[in-house]
Order: sequence, then C-alpha cells, then structure tokens
Amino acid sequence: MMDSDNPYEPELAPSDWGEHAGQDEENVNKTGTTTVGIATDDGVVIATDRRASLAGRFVSNKKVVKVEQIHPTAAMTLVGSVGGAQSFISSLRAEVNLYEARRDKDMSMEALSTLAGNFARGGPFFAINPILGGVDDEGSHVYSIDPAGGVMKDDYTVTGSGMQVAYGYLEQSWHEDIKTDEAREVAARAVISAAERDTGSGNGLVLCEVTADGVDITEYDEFPDPEEV
Amino acid sequence: MQGQNQQQAYDRGITIFSPDGRLYQVEYAREAVKRGSASVGIRTPDGVVLAAERRTRSPLMERDSVEKLHKIDDHVAIASAGHVADARQLIDVARRQSQVNQLRYGEPVGVETLTKHVTDHIQQYTQTGGARPFGVALLVGGVENDGTPRLYETDPSGTPYEWKAVAIGGSREDIQRRLEDEYTDAMTLDEGVDLALQALSEATEDGFPAEGIAVSTIPTESGSVEPLATEDIGERLETLDLLAEDDAE
Repeated sequence: MMDSDNPYEPELAPSDWGEHAGQDEENVNKTGTTTVGIATDDGVVIATDRRASLAGRFVSNKKVVKVEQIHPTAAMTLVGSVGGAQSFISSLRAEVNLYEARRDKDMSMEALSTLAGNFARGGPFFAINPILGGVDDEGSHVYSIDPAGGVMKDDYTVTGSGMQVAYGYLEQSWHEDIKTDEAREVAARAVISAAERDTGSGNGLVLCEVTADGVDITEYDEFPDPEEV
Repeated sequence: MQGQNQQQAYDRGITIFSPDGRLYQVEYAREAVKRGSASVGIRTPDGVVLAAERRTRSPLMERDSVEKLHKIDDHVAIASAGHVADARQLIDVARRQSQVNQLRYGEPVGVETLTKHVTDHIQQYTQTGGARPFGVALLVGGVENDGTPRLYETDPSGTPYEWKAVAIGGSREDIQRRLEDEYTDAMTLDEGVDLALQALSEATEDGFPAEGIAVSTIPTESGSVEPLATEDIGERLETLDLLAEDDAE
C-alpha cells in the first residue's frame, strides 16, 4: 500500500509499481493519436482515431478505443504509451469510486483534474498526454494533461501526434456558441484531417459525448461522413 | 481476590475486551473527557458556533495560552474537551489532512470527510497494542463547499456523531439539557452564540469573565472561521447577566 496521505500518488498501488515502465522503449505500443475535446454549454464532445503503432512506423492495432469513461460524467483519452495510459485510467477510475463510496458524492471536475495532474507528475505513470472532459455542477470542462502533470483547461483542446493538423482545422471551425451537434461534426473532421497526414493516426473514429446524464461512446471502424456523426 | 485480579487484567491492555464486551481503557478515556472543562457547538442555518470555557488554575497564568478552539482550515474549526496535549495531536492530524485534501483534489476538505479521517486515527489507538486511547473529545464545526453548515463530535472510541447542538466535557449532561430545551431549528447565528454562552453557564454558579470563554463562528455567508473579540464576548455576557469578575485582575 502506498501512503494514503501522499496526494501525488494513487492510494491503491504497490510502492514499486511501474518501476520498470519506460524501459525497452521501441517495443512499447504508442497510440500516436489525434484526440480532440470540445466543451459546449450542454456537455463535452471528444473524438479520437483508432490506431496503435510502434513508433508511428508500424500499425500494431487498428481497433483501439482511445476514450474511456472514468467517472459517471467524465471521460479520458489514451494518448502516448498504451500501458501507461491504461493503468492511469484504471487508477483514476478506482480513485473516483473510492471517493464516491467514502463521501457519498461524485468528484467535481476540479478534483478529478487536480488528481489526474498529481498522478501524471508523481505517480508510476509514464509518457501520457491525455484529454479529460467532463460535466459537473459548474458546467462543462475540457483539460489537457501533460506528462509532467501540467493541467490546462480550455474551450477546446487537442493532444497526440496529429495535433497540429487538427488544431489547424479547429482554429477555423470552432466558435464561442458552438452547439453539441456542430461540435460532433467539427471534432470528427479535425480527427479525419489529422489522419490524412499524420502516420500515427488513422483507422477509424471514436466519438464520445459527455452530458450531465452520462457518457456515450460510438465506434466507427472506418471514417464516417462527418455530417452524419 | 481472584475477581479483582481478573478485572485488572482487562483494563491493562486496551486491545483486550472484558468478558462482557467492554474496553475499559476507552471508558476511562471518556472519564478523562469529563474532567475537562466544557465545550459547546451549535449549528444554525446561518453557520456554526463553537464555544469553550477556558479555565486557569492561577491568576498568574496567561489565559491565551489555554487553547481550546483551533482553526483547522479556512472553513473548519475544532473545539476540544479533555487532555489538551492529546487534543493538539489530533488538531495537527486534522490540519495536515485539510492541506492534503487541498493538494490532492484542489478543493477544501469536507467537514464530514475531515471528521472521519480524525476518528479513523482515534480508532487506531483503541486497537493497537501498547498504545493509549486519546483522552479527548472534539467538536468539528465548519461550512461545506456548497455552503452547508456541519457540526460533528468525536469521542475516544473513534466514533463520529453529527449534531444540531452538543456539549462535551465537564457538566455535559446539564449543558446538553439546556441545549435540548432551548435549541430551535430556525435560530440565527447570533442567537446561537447567546445560547452557547447560556448553556456553558450551566457548568458554573457565578458566570464567567469575558476572557474565560473563547467563541468562534463559521458563518455560511463567509464560509470562514471568525473568532469573537473578547470585548464582544464581554458585552454579550453582560447582557445575559453572566459576566463575572476576572480573578486575574
């Protein structure tokens, strides 16, 4: 058991967990990835591609679902090392459940994003760069979390190897009063554009919508018509 | 003779139950709480009042050095009754945990969450060989993030209780009876302060000097711990006809 008073580490993990992560770098699956998050008045839209690769040079999986529910009203993307991202997500999910069981209330997005930043910085997780999107009493929130634990909130954000292409599209398409339906289309187009040029991204689309009612994830094996998503 | 030996065996170690299921050391710790001067907590819709009697054993003693009300975080305060030295350890546990919560979640700790952390700590000292239970009871008062006022009691067994109004320490029964008679759900914070002073006076025949009482409020409006000035307490005691001469003067 780790010291439960240490705010920078998960409560449920052995102290030597992840000690050897980050070794044997070239055999580590990376998501490469383009993941997009957009906050609207009604919720959060997250879109990702579906490719896993070895150093962006070999496609090791074509059906990855890179966005997962981690809270009744929040989802997170897997970006970077697949192993690092998966254990990051399962640890956060355990913390969310423990918090709810102990306090009889769900974590706020402030709490969840702070905790995610702390774990990225101090916990046994390596090479991750996820997006966190969620809804709470205060509204809709999108954060990008960097490997050193930096947490930045924004109206829309992109992480992954295809981020420059996706941002290029978003800078022209995002606007202040964007609604959820339009945000779905814009997020899908941003990922599809990135997949055209970034070798780490491709093989289809996953679209996730988070509202106060919950998290809804749709998988597409091939790129759909963005107007139809 | 043999019976007496058996009785002794059961109160030597706190981890040993007596045949009728009692933990004598925990019960003795409760007695230690009764020997302390009283503290009172009152929860009103406008906030929480904590009040404590500060007794000095000599007029030469500096009254401010008798600490019975402690600010834990901006929005939480704790009053104690019993062993002051034991209380200080728990106060520090609570202060640390408040900051740990702030670091971990970026949010102020909940009053219930904090109380349960402290009671879990107290409980460990009833189940660990060679340890002694905490000879102190605490009142944890504060305002939640969403503005809800909360008031909790901890006892030496490590059980948390939530209250509308409660007394701990010496003359607890008398003070609690007064609270039960006069508490109403719709009290203002001001009325709560007055009731706290009146209830505490059940423990004494001749009232208090203004310096003999410490009062803090945590109003829902500010959500912050606000100690009452001694002059303010003096004026209230005078109005309530509870003001006594200070031995120290």
